Amino acid sequence: MAEIVSVIALAHAPGATGWLDKAPAHEQEAIKVGYGRMAGRLRAARPDVIVGIANDHMLNFSVENVPDWCVGIADRWHGPSEWFRDWINVPDYAVAGNRDLGRTIVRECAKRGINLAFSEKLEFDDNWSVPLNFLTPDHDVALVPIHMNCVLPPMPQPERCVAFGRALAEVIKAWPQKLRVAVMATGGLSHDPGGQKYFDVDEKFDRWFLELLEAGDEARVLRELSIEKMLGAGDGGTVELLAWLVAMGAAQTLAPGRGSETMFYVPSVPLRCGMGGVEWAVCA
Amino acid sequence: MQTDRTLPANKLIFEVRRDAALRARFRDDLDGLMRDYGLSAEEQQALREINLQKLSDLGMHPYFLPQVARLFKGAGYNHNDSEAARLYADRMLK
Repeated sequence: MAEIVSVIALAHAPGATGWLDKAPAHEQEAIKVGYGRMAGRLRAARPDVIVGIANDHMLNFSVENVPDWCVGIADRWHGPSEWFRDWINVPDYAVAGNRDLGRTIVRECAKRGINLAFSEKLEFDDNWSVPLNFLTPDHDVALVPIHMNCVLPPMPQPERCVAFGRALAEVIKAWPQKLRVAVMATGGLSHDPGGQKYFDVDEKFDRWFLELLEAGDEARVLRELSIEKMLGAGDGGTVELLAWLVAMGAAQTLAPGRGSETMFYVPSVPLRCGMGGVEWAVCA
Repeated sequence: MQTDRTLPANKLIFEVRRDAALRARFRDDLDGLMRDYGLSAEEQQALREINLQKLSDLGMHPYFLPQVARLFKGAGYNHNDSEAARLYADRMLK
């Protein structure tokens, strides 16, 4: 049976690869060390495949037709998408997919009443390019990318995100193939592309959010963390944390009541983003 | 957020980011491109003048606003003092 060996969530802001040198030295160091710690934990879990959940920055789904979630089922993925190369500033890369697992997620979630789109073709921007650059720079761990709508109202509500995460964990665990799977959400923390807080970070919100996840109380998360609250901390990007709730749902299924461990947090105005990451110890 | 999903400018920017040939037209024949996508006179003027606040008021999705700045001023090394970021600050911040 497949096994979920790691559940993590982390920021993917393009400044981390595109203009990190513009941040003060202590921020650069803390971000590099933070991502490095997460890479070490992920390596130690020896995943064969990463199931990723991240905002589709209006790159693949036009305003005409936006799914809540879309599972990438291709055998191979390439990034970054051409126009984003200069911006993200990472080498072009290719990473294996996992068609069987992608199709299984779509098919089995449907049986649980969760409607997922799926696609052979997905363009990647910072959503995968930045975290993979730090976590698996050799791109030697396969990826099943799940793009989601965090930015075009109506977004899926927190309850649905957690429910999807729970279904995802159950579907993966029930898959009769010997496979080590990491669940990785990317996005957040507070940032506001397209808004008035473009050059601000809401450190107070970010620290509150990280402590909320550390407490490991799913009911409390759903009680206290509304989309409106996330919008208030930067309405262009903070709602990407919905992807983290999918990861939390998966983690809570595997280890009920266990809180996350904050691996790093840097409120970086030069990067225009609250940079951070967490891990849920699901195997301990 | 007050995105107008049906605003032609949203479709134009969505597709320009995904297509190098359209980006060449954006650079060389913006007026013709905007006509082909059916932008209103108001949208056309706002985009031509890089009037990000106006584009926002008309219903352009927030994500596209800094990207419009980058389409005009370049996307590389997009730090807070870059030309694209300064343009955004100048046109958007109240």
